[in-house]
Amino acid sequence: MDSLSINATALIAVPLVGAVLLALLPVSRALAGYLATLVSLAVAGAVAGLVYRFDIGGGEQFATDEAWVADLGIRFHVGIDGLSLAMVAMTALVMACAVGYAAWEGGARTRAYYALLLLLESALLLLFTAQDLIMFYVGFEAMLIPLYFLIGVWGGARRTQATLKFIVYTFVGTLLMLVGMIALALDQEGPITFDIDALSGSTSEWIFATFLVAFAIKSPIWPFHGWLPDAYRQSPPEVAAVLSGLASKAGAYGLLRLVLPIFPEPVAEYRDILLVLAMIGLLYGSLLAFRQPDSRGVIAYSSIGQMGLITLGIFVLNDRGASGAAFQMVNHALLSASLFLLAGWVATQTGSDLFVRLGGLARGRPILATIVLVVGVATLAVPGSSTFASEFLILLGAFEYEVWAGVLASTAIVLAAMYMLRWISALLHDRVGGAVEAGEPPDLVPSGGLLTIVPLVLAVLALSFYPFGVTDRIDADTSRLAEPAAEAAAR
Amino acid sequence: MSTSGYVWASFAAPLVGCVLITLLADRVPRRVAGLVACAAMLVSFVLGVLAFLDLRDRPAEERVVADTIWTWLSAGDFRADVGILFDPLSAVMLLVVSGVGFLIHVYSLGYMHDDAQERRFFAYMNLFVFSMLILVLAGNLVLLLVGWGMVGLSSYLLIGFWHHRPTAVAAAKKAFVMNAVGDVGLAIGTFLIFRELGTVDYREVFAGVPVLSDRGHLDWACGLLLIGALAKSAQIPLHTWLPDAMEGPTPVSALIHAATMVTAGVYLVARMNPLYAESGAISNLIVVIGATGLVMAGLIALFQHDIKRIIAYSTMSQIAYMFMGVGLGAYWAGMYHLVTHAFFKALLFMGAGIVIHALHDQQDIRHMGGLRRFLPRTTILMWIGSLALVGIVPFSGGWSKDAILSSGLEVGGAIGWVAWVAGIVGAFLTGLYSFRLLFLVFYGESSPYAADEAPKHTDHGEGPATMLWPVYALAALATVGGLLQIPGVTHYMTDFLEPITYGTGEMVEPSVAQEYLTTAAAVAAGLLGSVLAFRLWGRRPAVIPERASTGLAVLPERRFLWDELYDAILYRPAAAASNLIRRFVERPFFEAPLDAVGPASRLVARGFGVSQTGVVRLYALVFAVGVGALLLLFMVQA
Repeated sequence: MDSLSINATALIAVPLVGAVLLALLPVSRALAGYLATLVSLAVAGAVAGLVYRFDIGGGEQFATDEAWVADLGIRFHVGIDGLSLAMVAMTALVMACAVGYAAWEGGARTRAYYALLLLLESALLLLFTAQDLIMFYVGFEAMLIPLYFLIGVWGGARRTQATLKFIVYTFVGTLLMLVGMIALALDQEGPITFDIDALSGSTSEWIFATFLVAFAIKSPIWPFHGWLPDAYRQSPPEVAAVLSGLASKAGAYGLLRLVLPIFPEPVAEYRDILLVLAMIGLLYGSLLAFRQPDSRGVIAYSSIGQMGLITLGIFVLNDRGASGAAFQMVNHALLSASLFLLAGWVATQTGSDLFVRLGGLARGRPILATIVLVVGVATLAVPGSSTFASEFLILLGAFEYEVWAGVLASTAIVLAAMYMLRWISALLHDRVGGAVEAGEPPDLVPSGGLLTIVPLVLAVLALSFYPFGVTDRIDADTSRLAEPAAEAAAR
Repeated sequence: MSTSGYVWASFAAPLVGCVLITLLADRVPRRVAGLVACAAMLVSFVLGVLAFLDLRDRPAEERVVADTIWTWLSAGDFRADVGILFDPLSAVMLLVVSGVGFLIHVYSLGYMHDDAQERRFFAYMNLFVFSMLILVLAGNLVLLLVGWGMVGLSSYLLIGFWHHRPTAVAAAKKAFVMNAVGDVGLAIGTFLIFRELGTVDYREVFAGVPVLSDRGHLDWACGLLLIGALAKSAQIPLHTWLPDAMEGPTPVSALIHAATMVTAGVYLVARMNPLYAESGAISNLIVVIGATGLVMAGLIALFQHDIKRIIAYSTMSQIAYMFMGVGLGAYWAGMYHLVTHAFFKALLFMGAGIVIHALHDQQDIRHMGGLRRFLPRTTILMWIGSLALVGIVPFSGGWSKDAILSSGLEVGGAIGWVAWVAGIVGAFLTGLYSFRLLFLVFYGESSPYAADEAPKHTDHGEGPATMLWPVYALAALATVGGLLQIPGVTHYMTDFLEPITYGTGEMVEPSVAQEYLTTAAAVAAGLLGSVLAFRLWGRRPAVIPERASTGLAVLPERRFLWDELYDAILYRPAAAASNLIRRFVERPFFEAPLDAVGPASRLVARGFGVSQTGVVRLYALVFAVGVGALLLLFMVQA
């Protein structure tokens, strides 16, 4: 039985095989959409099984560790510890909803489109379970290929511009990291290895810089965010959801999983600069989000702010900060995905994403209104929400490190309230907007598109009741990852 | 069932109600939603009473029940539980919240009768009560903060209930943002306490007071928590959201913005009394804020025209009294006034609600007058409420307010006298504005509007039984509530609340002589105000100028310009910063350069494109040259 059980490799393989089959089988677009949804649901089901079987405090589990390119010490090594479990679970859930949404909206989406989405899921799962640096790199880089086509072919009017910015910028970062990785492996004593756990204690500042820049672009950390607004605005809704919900987490995850333990000395050396950048990003994104004219603009800039908060949690280098940052990644993934899908759904119903043309949507649409409200107030981290739980940990960690950091970052909570309440009202309240009047009649029965957001909302609610369910599983790993750098900083 | 079992069940009932209403949605008639909500409240209240009785029958030192159902959040050695602390303080709050809450729910059945959105209303109301119970039953600072934020959320939802009105939406947002400022204060206070003591559990924090004090962090901790208290209780300087919150339906004003949520700040200080008792500076600050606030709010109330806003400023003023009480160290007296205020202020709001209904949603007292002919019972009810508010003994408000003021005498010194004098002045102002309202609304000639509308809406009596009976009940409570503590006669409040200091000290208790002396002075001041109100507004047809606008009267009429101040120092700078960053940073430095990436890379591509001639011979030539060069290179190296 045990040998038949799902492990990390199977998890990565399922969407990959699904992608290949979809690309080859001559099925209709609609059927392709359903099949892709089924595949992503199967992954989600498998992950649910892993969550159930996961042994808390048991370290790396469900692992595969085989030699791949033996001469170069590259191994196919994937496995799942508590942190990976959280990342994998959020990936499976968000992807299932995103693929479901794509299948619902249909339109120009072809078989290739769904195949690319599944390919993207496979890459993400590889990245979040990789225990070998090269595996991580393959996942990190493999994400770009589907994204390139998904945005470049199926994006909005300015898609070419957006894709070029995004791909060129991100690609430069990852290439730098590849160079850094090779140098890092050569730097090690003894036989060459890319095993993440074995690569620790590098003091090289330039290698550190290559990793940092790659992840800073991906997350993004201010001032590396230039590619973001266009990419988030021009992507199809579910791609934007995956981009902001999951792909951005690849950057933050890289910081936590790789940068902290591999480069403790440089991290300790430059942490204050990084904290200042994180803080700027937090306030900068939050302030800009407050005046955006459209839903996607608000979500895009709020994401910059949220990633600043996550970065802050990572670099305060203590238990609270690290655990809070990892948990906030999960929360932000669920919520920003919900937000983008909601924005997409509203745009399909009304033909507009501009606030001046929206408003009054709450009337006659109680289900939409409830979803928008729950997602909105959870995003602004109302106390009692899972986001509050994670932000509380981050801010507490920041406060424990430096009082000013905790206090300044806390003001972002007020800013978040300002921009999210504005968003909620712009959609739901006040006068009925022009696009709403012209759009579909009020539908009391929710359409499929809205239903794809429901699982995300339910997950947020569940985590709000029981955030310990996440923190209990990730705590040991986040503490372990932050410890070397914290010790270096203490010296 | 065990005591904690009663408490948990009482706690959960409103949540069950809220979820049930949401899930049933339009599968049941909308009237059912209201009944479900009321039933949930009744269950909650009855179980609350059972829990209270259990607690009351115990000896003082055993009047505390702590219970945890699960761990909510953890990281390293940080841990926050979903755990309750049920002691006399939370018991009093539980009874007020569920009891008064139940009456207001029943009243809402009548008040919201014609509103198509009734389901949503009752779901929110139950959600509010649940949130409030989290706040008062929480056993640690993190769960307190959860309750703190969730009452803010439900308050937001209910203020903005009629969300087609832009004013209601704006008021809801304002209340939320201002309370978010308070939440941040409370959160940072919690961070500080955890950093120093390594715990957020109330009783462990109380035990750690000496540590906080020795390290010089006690005043900071108390001050930070106070920010939360000031925002939630609408005290200076975080008070401007409360009058605007009157945009919500009247039962909401009665429940959230009078009886329960806005008094949470008083509860917080009383809850944290082992900290505040040791922090003289912050306690004195609380007294000063209270003294200033009660006079300021009283003055503003005198110049308002909206019946609900007048009562809202009165609420702010009364809570300021409670703040003085807990600031003086008379935690029981603050709580006592909190209880009686819940009775008489809910009574006043619900009476105002009947008036507003009778006048077809008119709230401007200039369009009222002479309503006693149409609303005789309401007139009597409002008399009772006003007498209790002004503090004319034997009505309840008198006893509880005087308990606070006489504690000022007991404490003595500058701070004690500030409290006492401000309190007496406040009593005079209260008499003035309360009876101004009463006379202008119910006496004199009816305004043309009232003469026209009132007969249309009162031909079937003053309102449905669901609206009248809860108000009767509150009127009865407002009348006899003072029995809880009459100097020299009864002392239920001081006896029951005795253990809430957790052995850290004694609460301030005035002598009987101090109490009666204060009562004499306060009643005299209140009567003086009332008589003056009668002279000014009681006998002639009410004519209020559109705008006072002369001399100093401009200030209270424009609410001492607080709104303008916040607009100028908070909202505008935030909006301006956003615009400036967008224009001078984001666009020139991030958008513009990256927009060049596209054309630049296309240029590079075109450069390479030149070589793509499609002439195979050329490719072969280049290929051959390349291979040749490589071979040459290898040979040279070898």
